[in-house]
Amino acid sequence: MRKISLMVAGVAAAAVFGQLGAAAPERWWAPGEGRVFPASLDYANDQGTLRVLVDGGPVATKGHPFFEPLGANGRACVTCHQPSDAMSLSAASARDRWDKTRGKDPLFAAIDGANCPSLPQDKRESHSLLIERGLFRIQLPWPVRQWNGRPVTPDFTIEVMRDPNGCNSGPNYGPDAGNISVYRRARPVANMKYLLAVGFPFDPKQGFALPRDPDDGSMMSGNIMGDNRAGNLRIQMEDAAHGHLQFARGLNAKQIAQIRDFEMRVYTAQQVSKQAGALDSMGAEGGPMKLKNSQPGALGSIGIPVWSEFAKWEKISPEDAKVLTPEQLAFRQSVARGARVFRDKMFLITDTAGINSRIGFGNPVRNSCVFCHNMSQMGNDVAPGQVDLGTTTMPFADPWRDLPLFRITCLKTPHPHYGRVIYTMDPGFAMTTGRCADVGKITLQSMRGLAARAPYFSNGLAKDLRGIVDYYDRRYNIGYTEQEKQDLTNMMSAL
Amino acid sequence: MFRFFLTAAALVAPLSAAAAETVRFIACPIYRDTDSGKKSGCWLSDDPATGLRYDVSLSPHKPDWNYAVMVEGIVSAAPSTPCGGTVLDAVRTSRLYDTPCTRHMLPAEGFPGRRFVLPKRNITPSSVARPVPPGPYAERVFPVYFEFGNDFLVYQYSDYLIEQASNWINAAHPKKLIVTGFAATQPEVISGRSMAEPADLAALRAETIAETLRRLMPGMAIETAADTSGSETADKDADRLPSQSRRRVEIRALF
Repeated sequence: MRKISLMVAGVAAAAVFGQLGAAAPERWWAPGEGRVFPASLDYANDQGTLRVLVDGGPVATKGHPFFEPLGANGRACVTCHQPSDAMSLSAASARDRWDKTRGKDPLFAAIDGANCPSLPQDKRESHSLLIERGLFRIQLPWPVRQWNGRPVTPDFTIEVMRDPNGCNSGPNYGPDAGNISVYRRARPVANMKYLLAVGFPFDPKQGFALPRDPDDGSMMSGNIMGDNRAGNLRIQMEDAAHGHLQFARGLNAKQIAQIRDFEMRVYTAQQVSKQAGALDSMGAEGGPMKLKNSQPGALGSIGIPVWSEFAKWEKISPEDAKVLTPEQLAFRQSVARGARVFRDKMFLITDTAGINSRIGFGNPVRNSCVFCHNMSQMGNDVAPGQVDLGTTTMPFADPWRDLPLFRITCLKTPHPHYGRVIYTMDPGFAMTTGRCADVGKITLQSMRGLAARAPYFSNGLAKDLRGIVDYYDRRYNIGYTEQEKQDLTNMMSAL
Repeated sequence: MFRFFLTAAALVAPLSAAAAETVRFIACPIYRDTDSGKKSGCWLSDDPATGLRYDVSLSPHKPDWNYAVMVEGIVSAAPSTPCGGTVLDAVRTSRLYDTPCTRHMLPAEGFPGRRFVLPKRNITPSSVARPVPPGPYAERVFPVYFEFGNDFLVYQYSDYLIEQASNWINAAHPKKLIVTGFAATQPEVISGRSMAEPADLAALRAETIAETLRRLMPGMAIETAADTSGSETADKDADRLPSQSRRRVEIRALF
């Protein structure tokens, strides 16, 4: 009898605490090390365990262009898209890498892993943006050029007001030298079918039908890159190979196909919560398997509500509650409430280009987080997600003294919310379109695997999950209660 | 044939909206912070000539509280209970970005606002198969409408009309499309201001729609034209608002 009880308890515990996959390998994936990427990988993080699934089984990484150092600086794609970090890169991993290699890892390549290549590369402070906030330098052409190299005549001028790193002034850097340097987080290369999904044929924020993929003629989602400068994976890969790997030769068709194949097969999500246990237990549907098996591109408001993965935890039966500790039960209930708050807590969205202009929702408009984070299972935007939350632009952004500050002057129509002159640390989408109306717009991204890849927002403004909630609360004067803030934070830790 | 019909209709029925009372004025918008869920806030605006307060919330493009709006609407018999103003339906509120306003928000004051319902002109997800539009497939004109003073596609209005057109065009296989942009360039005095659209807006509107059609129907032969006459039509999708019908693009399918 006791043996049976123990067995039952064991089964229940596995369900509650989560069945971890095979023992986690070394966290850091170095370029060219030739490991086999297994079909399922688990990595511990502060909030629990992240799972990485590869649809279709293991991938041999030896010779694979995602994992091999292709360019001059010894980096591979995997350098900045680490499995343990939900295929992004956390600032903590960058710090750890600096400490372990004393800055010799290719991650710290001068081209973008330093605050500026002109700084002494052996000094930690020359890489402070990457080490402290996970930011890479992104050098963009000025005046603006399209993905196909065609010049765009911007309807704004740009002046450098502050250049703490030296990469926006001098003979080689800055608008006078034909470039602008901004600093951004690496976006996760996972759950890609959702980022490529097209829910509707129009981009309501730009007022056009979606553009067509130059390679296959399909409509492009506009959700791959922070500034939407690459509409398909091939263009993104070429941009990264040149700008991050210093791969002068360029990717060939076979390499592009291999990388695309891998990227389309990788799914990541938090699988186990330290506080709640298995995120796919007791009817909940957390973890990457659900992502792998679901159809992408669905609008939550007319289909499966966003974060309804945790709906079953709204009412945990007394019988189920018995196998949970009081802390686990409370955390699960909190996660479920957080999902509700995310969908149902209304607030006034104001002065946000991409929402309040030019599209006709009105300024202000009453809605909740899912107004923009509207795709089922992912929480990115079904429409191209270029929205200005103010995270990079004054007066809404925090005044980071270690980031450059630009003064944008609109030459034609003033910006509807900022006016003719705008101060920004990253013009965002405007560096792709050349339009002052797009200054500060950054593409919404996936919300999965958040626990593995702090800090957050494109410039690392929020150091932790609570920081995200706090930013929105003050930006939109939402007035979340402390309980609501905690519930939202807990819910995001379970994604 | 359809071209003839449209022209004839415009001549014999110059869209007078029959006995309905129409209003046009320019004023700052007022946001009433009602809460019946998402998108349920009220938009009000006071006609400076009469002092009457109108509920303009049903416009497909809502105001921005930092800028004046040009209100064009038909006075409805609907009760003022949702928002506290005489309801205009149909109504347009064009944002005048050259005219700043002091933002003003009223509390709900007991008004419930309107629970959001999906507009009748909305696009279904791409994953839903579109029925093939019935023939006959012969020359036909599809209008698309704009806010005063700009060429931006109006969400859940012009995008819907374009999609209806492209579905038909994809089924009909016309030889080419002529996309003609119109602008209301004739000055009209509204609330003491002379209001006219710039002449080059006609061409901009044509090019905006042509670009969208190129994306929706790659390979389709498309020509653009501009017409600054500001002519009116009686098309039902202008919602009985003559001024709306003047701000349009016509997509003409030729065989």
